[in-house]
Amino acid sequence: MQGWVTLALLLSLGAKRSLAQNGLGEPRGLTLNPDLPAQTLSLAWQSDSTLFDLEIFHTEFMNVVLNATVEVQADPVTGLHSWTWHSPLPLECTSHSVRIRARNQQSVSQWSPLQTIPGWDIPEKSYMFPEDKMIPVGSNMTFCCIVNEKEDFKEIKYGRQEMKATRLSRRSYAITVTNQPASDNTGTNVICSSQKFQILTGTVVFVGYPPGDEGLVCETRDLASAECSWKKGRDTHLRIKHSQTNYTLNGRDCLEANERKTWCSSKMWEENWTLEARNPLGTVQLTDSAQLTDRVHLLAPVNVAAVKVEAWSATLQWSWSVAAYKKLEMVCQLRLFAHELSSTRNYDGPGLSSVVLEGLWPDVDYTVTLRCGSKHSFWKWGDESAPYRIHTKMDRPDALDVWMWMDSSNTGHVFWKPLSVRKSHGALDGYEVSQSSAEEDGRNTVSLPPGNFSYPIILNNSSDVTVAVAARNPAGLSQPSTVTTPAYRADSQLSVSELLGTNGSFVLSWEPNVSASSGYVVEWFPTGCTGHCPIDWKKLPESDRSFTVNSDSLVAGVRYTVSVYSLSTGAPTLLQRWQGYSQEMIPSQSVSELSLNQTGSDVLLSWKATEMKQQRGFIRGYTIYLASAAHLDLIANITDPAVQSYRVKGLTLSSYKFVVKAYTSAGEDAGATVAIKMEMDTADMLFVGILVPLGIMFCCIILFSIFFYKKREWVKKAFYPEIPGPKVSGDWSSPRGPLDVKPSPHSLVHIVKNPEWDFTKEGLFPVPEEEEESENDNMEVDTDSDEPALLRYYNQVVGDGSHSNQVSDSSASSTASMGSTQTEITYAGIQSPSSSQGAYSGGGYRPQMQSVTGPAEPQIEFEADFQDDGLNAGYKPQCSWQLDSPEAENFSGSLGSPTSVTSSQFLIPESSEEKPQPSNTWFHNFLSGKS
Amino acid sequence: MAGRGTNGRHGSRGHAGRTAALARLLHKECIQLLELYRNSESLPSSPVDGGYLVSIPPLVPQLSDAEKISILHAALKECLRLLEDVITQEDAEFSDEDSEYKRKWKTVRDRLGHLLASTEQLLVEGQKFEAKVKEELDGQAVSGSFRLKMWIVRVLQDLVHWTGQTSDTLRSLPAEVEKAPKTMSRRTRRGAEKIRK
Repeated sequence: MQGWVTLALLLSLGAKRSLAQNGLGEPRGLTLNPDLPAQTLSLAWQSDSTLFDLEIFHTEFMNVVLNATVEVQADPVTGLHSWTWHSPLPLECTSHSVRIRARNQQSVSQWSPLQTIPGWDIPEKSYMFPEDKMIPVGSNMTFCCIVNEKEDFKEIKYGRQEMKATRLSRRSYAITVTNQPASDNTGTNVICSSQKFQILTGTVVFVGYPPGDEGLVCETRDLASAECSWKKGRDTHLRIKHSQTNYTLNGRDCLEANERKTWCSSKMWEENWTLEARNPLGTVQLTDSAQLTDRVHLLAPVNVAAVKVEAWSATLQWSWSVAAYKKLEMVCQLRLFAHELSSTRNYDGPGLSSVVLEGLWPDVDYTVTLRCGSKHSFWKWGDESAPYRIHTKMDRPDALDVWMWMDSSNTGHVFWKPLSVRKSHGALDGYEVSQSSAEEDGRNTVSLPPGNFSYPIILNNSSDVTVAVAARNPAGLSQPSTVTTPAYRADSQLSVSELLGTNGSFVLSWEPNVSASSGYVVEWFPTGCTGHCPIDWKKLPESDRSFTVNSDSLVAGVRYTVSVYSLSTGAPTLLQRWQGYSQEMIPSQSVSELSLNQTGSDVLLSWKATEMKQQRGFIRGYTIYLASAAHLDLIANITDPAVQSYRVKGLTLSSYKFVVKAYTSAGEDAGATVAIKMEMDTADMLFVGILVPLGIMFCCIILFSIFFYKKREWVKKAFYPEIPGPKVSGDWSSPRGPLDVKPSPHSLVHIVKNPEWDFTKEGLFPVPEEEEESENDNMEVDTDSDEPALLRYYNQVVGDGSHSNQVSDSSASSTASMGSTQTEITYAGIQSPSSSQGAYSGGGYRPQMQSVTGPAEPQIEFEADFQDDGLNAGYKPQCSWQLDSPEAENFSGSLGSPTSVTSSQFLIPESSEEKPQPSNTWFHNFLSGKS
Repeated sequence: MAGRGTNGRHGSRGHAGRTAALARLLHKECIQLLELYRNSESLPSSPVDGGYLVSIPPLVPQLSDAEKISILHAALKECLRLLEDVITQEDAEFSDEDSEYKRKWKTVRDRLGHLLASTEQLLVEGQKFEAKVKEELDGQAVSGSFRLKMWIVRVLQDLVHWTGQTSDTLRSLPAEVEKAPKTMSRRTRRGAEKIRK
C-alpha cells in the first residue's frame, strides 16, 4: 500500500515537471466582472498563452454551464486577456464559478483557482429574475425564482401558463420560455408560488416589437418652417413608459411625438429629412426629400366676410394669418351650399383675398367655405375656412306659366303653375289677374292671395277674352303672362282618338301646324271631370312635334283627355284630341243592371256597361260564363263592347247561373251574376199537361175500336164461342112460341132448369131481354108489386154448351149472357132470398153477388162455389165474374149452361152462411191461404 | 340594487342611511375593481401576503359608534391617498389607455371621496383620529413593475377591507347617531386619546 502511494506521488511530480517543461504557465489573476442587467460575465486574466480552456459552473451543484476553448489575445497596453460570456440565466439566479487554463495544442496548463460570483440565492428573501426585461417577440428567455429560506417552492407561471421548473440550487429554480408572444398592456407576469402563498414573488417581462413607423412626409405651413408627419406602424406592445418609442428628426429630439402624435416640426426647412424611431427593441429610420415650394400646405383663410350682397351676386373677402402668403401664387376653391343648390368654384391669383360670386339666386341662403393651395407645384388643399353664411336679396318673380281651360262655350278657368323657389325670387305676396276683351275697353284686375292657382272666366259675349296673370313679391311684380280663351270644343264635336299608354306614359305626336307661331300646348286632364279639375299642360316650342306625358303626372286606371293646341297671337287652336289610359286596369265594378228574360228554352241576358270611372280601361268586350259549383264555363265572348245582350239558347228545364264580365286589356272584372230556374210556358203546360194525354187517350180509343172492329170475329170466337145446343131425346115438338108462365106468388125468382139435373130434357128458353124490352117498352113493371111478374119462356131446346161465363168483365159477361142461347132468368123483383132458399133448399137458386175480386181470387172463389154447389146441389148465386182458369172452365162445364141473373134490386142475403164473405174477410183468408 | 335596498332599509335614518348605502355600494365596487385587476393581470385570486397597508386602532366594543366612524373615516382617508398615489404611479409607469378597469378606478376614487365627505358629517366635532400606513409606495418596498402590481393589489385589498368595515359599522348604527351626538363622554374621549398615543 505504501509503495502505491509513493508511485502515484512520483507520477504526479513527473507530470508537473512535464507541464512546466512545455512552457504553459497557469493563467494568473483571473477576475470576474458581472453585468447583471446584460447578463454578461467579463473575465480578465494574465497569461503568456493565447489559447485557453474555460469552464463555468453553477457553483452550488457544480453543474457545468460552459466548457469551451477560446483564443484570446492579450491587451498590448495592460497585458490582460479579457473575454465576456453572455449567460442565458440571470447571474443573480445562483452563484457562478469560473476556472481557466492555458492550452497549446494538446498541452494544457493547470486550471486556475475557481473564481466565484455569488448569486442572490443567499439572503433570506424571495426574488425573481430578470426584472422588467424587454425582449422582441419570439425570443427565448430563462427566468429564475429564488425562494425564501422558509418557503417551499411550488411552481412558476408564465402568464396563465404553468411552466416546468429546473432547480439551480437549493433555493433557486428556473424556467425557460421559448418563442414568447407579444405582451398585453402592462407586460407579461411571471409568478413564482410557494406552497404557503400563491404569490411568493414575480417579475414582468415586456415582449414586443421594434418601431414600425413609415411614410415620413414634410411640408411647410408658413413657407419657412417644416412639419413632418408619418404613419404609425405596427403596435410595439410596449406600454411601459420608458420602453415607448422615441423619435428624432434630423438628429434632434422630437419630444412632441408619441404613440398618438405622429408629427414633428422644425423651425427651418431642410430639403432632406430623416426621422429615427427607437425603442428598447430596435430602431427604424424614415427619410423624405423635397423643395419647400413643392410642399406648401396653406393655413385656412381667416375673417371671411361678404362685403357686397346682391340678388344674383356677392363679393367675398378674407385675410391670411401668414404674411408670406400675400406673394404666393395661389388657387382657391369656394364651395357654396344651399338648400337644393351646391356648387364649387375655383379662383386663382397672387395672395388671393377676395372674389365676386356670380350666378347666385335671389333670396337664397348660401353657406360658403374656402380653401386655397399653391398654384404652382400644387401639393394639397390648405385648411378650410369656417363656414360663412350669405343671404342674397330678393328679385321680381319670373313670368308665370298660364293656361286657360274652357269647360263650356262661355265658362272656363285660367290656370297658372306655382313658381318654384328658383323662379319666385322671394316669398310671393299674391297674384294679379287682369281680363280684357276686344269689345270692352280697359282691364279688370283682380288680386289673389298666393295660395290661388286658378281663376274662373265667364264670357259674356262671343268675343275672345285675354287674361294676363302676374306674380307679386316684395321686390315687385313679374312680367304678366297672357292667354286668350280657346274655342270650346266638346268631345262629341271631335273625332277623339283612342290613346294607348306606354309604360305608364302617353307618347304623343302630331302634324306640324303652320299657325303655331308661338309653339304648342299639350293639355291633359281626367275625362269627364267637372268643376275644379286637375288640369295640366305643357308649353312646347314651335319646333316640337311630339311630347311624352310622364307617368308621374298620370294616374293608372284613369281616362285622360289629351289635347294639343297650337299657339299664335290669337286664341289657341285645338289640333288634335285623344282619350286614353296611361295604364289600363281591370274594371273596378261589374256590369250593372244584369237581367235575363226567358223565352221558351232561350234566355236573353242583358246588361249595361259600368260607368266610365269604374271602367279603368277601354271595355274591349264581355265574356259570359255558365257558373257551376266549381268553375265557370265560357259560353260566349262578345268582342263588341256595344253589344250588351246575349241570348242563350236551348236550355232544358233546370237552374242556371250566368256570370257576365266586362274586360279591358288588363283583364276581366269580378263579374255580375244572375240566376234562373227554367220553367214551361203556360201554353206549353196546357198543351203538355192536358191536350197531349187527351189526344193520346183518344188515339188509343180509336185504335182499340178499329182493332176490335177489325178483329170482332176473333174476339167473338175468343171470348164468346158458340155454345152448342142441347141434345133433346124425346119429342119436344111442342109448338114453338112463347110460353107464358106465371110464377108462383110466393117468389118471383124462378129457377131455370139446371142442366145437371137433366141435360137431355128440353128446357124452357127465355126470351131475350132486348126483344122483351122492345116489346114492353111501354110496359111499366112494378117491381115492388107483390104481384108476380110474368115470366116468359120460349119452348126451345137449349144446347149442351159449355159454360161460357169466363170473362170477368161484367159487361162482357152480360153480353155473353145476352148473346148466348143459355137460359136466362130475369128477376123482376126479389122479395126475400130466404124464402127462395127455403123453396129450393136442396140446390135451388142463390142470388148473384157483386164483389170485387183480385186476380187470384176467381179460382179460390170458384172452388168455394163449387163446394157449396156440391153440398147444396142446387143453384148458387154467382159470386165472381172472373173465371178464367181452366179449372173454372171445367167446373163451369160441369155446371151446365151459364145462368144470367138480372135484378132490379140488391140481393141481400139474410143468412150469414149464405152471405158472401166480406171483402176484408175474404182478403184475410186469401192472405192466410184458407180455401 | 344593494344600494337601493340599503337605502330603503335605512330610509328612515336619513343621512346615516344614505352614507351606509354609499359605503355598501363602494364596497361592492371595490370588490369588482379588485376582480377586474386580477383578471387583467392574470393574478391568482388569493390575497397577497403582507397584511393591510393601513392600520388603525382596534375597534374595541368600548368605543362609541361615533368614535368607530371617526377611526374608519381616518382609514378611508388613507385609502384614498394610497389610491391616488397608485393611480399616479400607474399612469407614470404605463401608458394611459382607456379600459373598463381604468374607468372603474376613477369611479371608485370619486365615490370614495363622496363617502369621506358623507361620513365627515357624522363625526363629532373636535374628534380626530389618524390611521397609519405601514409601507409607502415611494419607499424601498416597491420597485419594479411586478412589485408595483402587487402594491396595487394590496391597496385594492385595503379598499375592500376598509369600505366593508365602514359599511358594516354604518349599517349597525342606531338611529340616534344621526341626531349628531356632538358631545362625547369623558371616558370615551380619554380612551380615544390613549389610542392616539
